[in-house]
Amino acid sequence: MTRLATPTRSEKSRGWLRPGLIIGLIVLALAIAFPHLVDRPKFWIPNIGIKSLWLGIVAMSLVFLNRYVGLLSLAQMTIAGMSAYGVAYATVTLGLSPWVSIVFGLMIGTLAGYLVALVAARTKAIYFLMLTLALGQVFYSWAAQAVDVTNASRGLYPVPRPDLGVMNLADLNSFYYFALAAAVLCYLLCRYVATSSFGLALQGIRDSPERMSALGYNVNRYRVGAITFASFIASIGGVIVVFDRNQVDPSVVNLNATLDILIVAVIGGIGSLLGVFAGGVVLSLLLNFSQDFTDRYMTLTGLVFIAVLLFAPAGLAGIGKQVQGVKDRVLRKKKSAPVLEPVQEPPTKPSEEELTTEGTQR
Amino acid sequence: MIMPDTGHALRVRGVSRNFGGLKALRDVDLEIADGERISVIGTNGAGKSTLFNLIAGVFPATSGRIELFGEDVTGMSTAKRAKRGLARTFQTSRLFEQLTVAENVFIALGGSEFRGGSLRPAWRSPSRWERGERLLERVGLREKGEAVVADLSHGEQRQLELAMALALQPKLLMLDEPAAGFSPSERTHLVKLLREIPEEITLLLIEHDMDIALAVASRVIVMHDGEKILEGTPDEIRASERVREIYLGGSLDEAV
Repeated sequence: MTRLATPTRSEKSRGWLRPGLIIGLIVLALAIAFPHLVDRPKFWIPNIGIKSLWLGIVAMSLVFLNRYVGLLSLAQMTIAGMSAYGVAYATVTLGLSPWVSIVFGLMIGTLAGYLVALVAARTKAIYFLMLTLALGQVFYSWAAQAVDVTNASRGLYPVPRPDLGVMNLADLNSFYYFALAAAVLCYLLCRYVATSSFGLALQGIRDSPERMSALGYNVNRYRVGAITFASFIASIGGVIVVFDRNQVDPSVVNLNATLDILIVAVIGGIGSLLGVFAGGVVLSLLLNFSQDFTDRYMTLTGLVFIAVLLFAPAGLAGIGKQVQGVKDRVLRKKKSAPVLEPVQEPPTKPSEEELTTEGTQR
Repeated sequence: MIMPDTGHALRVRGVSRNFGGLKALRDVDLEIADGERISVIGTNGAGKSTLFNLIAGVFPATSGRIELFGEDVTGMSTAKRAKRGLARTFQTSRLFEQLTVAENVFIALGGSEFRGGSLRPAWRSPSRWERGERLLERVGLREKGEAVVADLSHGEQRQLELAMALALQPKLLMLDEPAAGFSPSERTHLVKLLREIPEEITLLLIEHDMDIALAVASRVIVMHDGEKILEGTPDEIRASERVREIYLGGSLDEAV
């Protein structure tokens, strides 16, 4: 009997899967049509489209770690930056071919992530956050000073968008679709890993690392694996960054860039792998249009950030559920109102609770 | 090489543990033969949980030696001890709250089956899910597989605890106050569950509640102020003046 009273989560999520899937496909269709919908493609495609995509990919790596492993990493933009530096170094300094440069960049980013993980996986919560932030700042300082490797503040250039044979990235539309394909791939990869036995074990570690070691799992090894995987995702974002800017310089990995990723993740919904792209669009729109009506773009970004935290704590991706919750409550009130029975009141309670737990979910 | 000692599941020799200036455990000896059922009882602060955590490997002993199945494990990690055949439950539930009951057991089964991570989708391991189902049936949670752990009652969570510990196919099973927060009917059910645990599994029970401790064990160890003060059969313990004194000195309802 208690089974009837408490619908299980998987039943709930099955109910949610359908609208989620439909919305996802609509957004994907819009994203595919995007270059043909805008009036000034030369402005919109790189500044909003491609920028949103790479912001989203890097933020997705942060969300993956946060949602499935319970770690909040501020090193994701740094990892992406390392990958960008890797591509640029291979192209500019070593003169390698585009494909090899891309692979080199991905390897640099992933390897760096692995090394960060070896140190950081031993820490938790706020210490993990501080450590990743500190490592990011160390890399920024190094990149800004190591003239021999990074060409210091002038950065490495030019890194032209290459002709990859199958796709000529020099063409803006092609490059956009390349970034879009990368974003979709990253999403599918994250989802796949999350549903594997490995992903389930990660979620176990998120909920109770003590239990996992009592069950015989080597918790550290799993954490290192997850951070390395997330670094690979961030590195893919880094490859798009370097081609988007045609160069890489320390500003790619400075504190602002690091915080941008966190803002994107929070605006999109820190528990949602797809919400990050909504966050990316919001931030890139802010970056490009806020100057039209205010000089204080940082203030505006901050206000948007606060507004999201206040009114939609689960981010843009959580708004659907939030609206549903409000609707449920209104409907139930309407039903119970004419009867005027206080006994009818309790049913509204659970939906309120649902709303708040939804909001506080990491 | 360490001398092979197959007769003992666990040997604790002169183990002490200090927390700063506090001597939580003083020079405790303990031997458990294979297949034995031992209860460790004592009031709050007697050192039961400290002893438990030392055996499980949560923190290291200040001095002394711990042998598991004849092997010295004093400096070994929790995960390695688990792989040697030691399973434990937790006093305060440390389940995977955001996952379903079935997923919890699925993960528990992984520790012994895979050494590393498996990148196969979880639904492609039907035999592992089936084994999980059988375990849930064994502890009476068959109907609850799809429920999220956070929605379970306290008693159900303890049942799940047991299922997850059994998933390891342990040689030594340690239960940390399994009856904590149980209603009387749940207690009866628990005693039944504990009695159904296969005989080849050695059982070490840390328990606050005398009734359960005495009902399940073949030998009982009484701890007080970080020391082992008495050891005997349930009947001897029940008759002991000293035990009555300690328990009455603590809290009244526990002596009942």
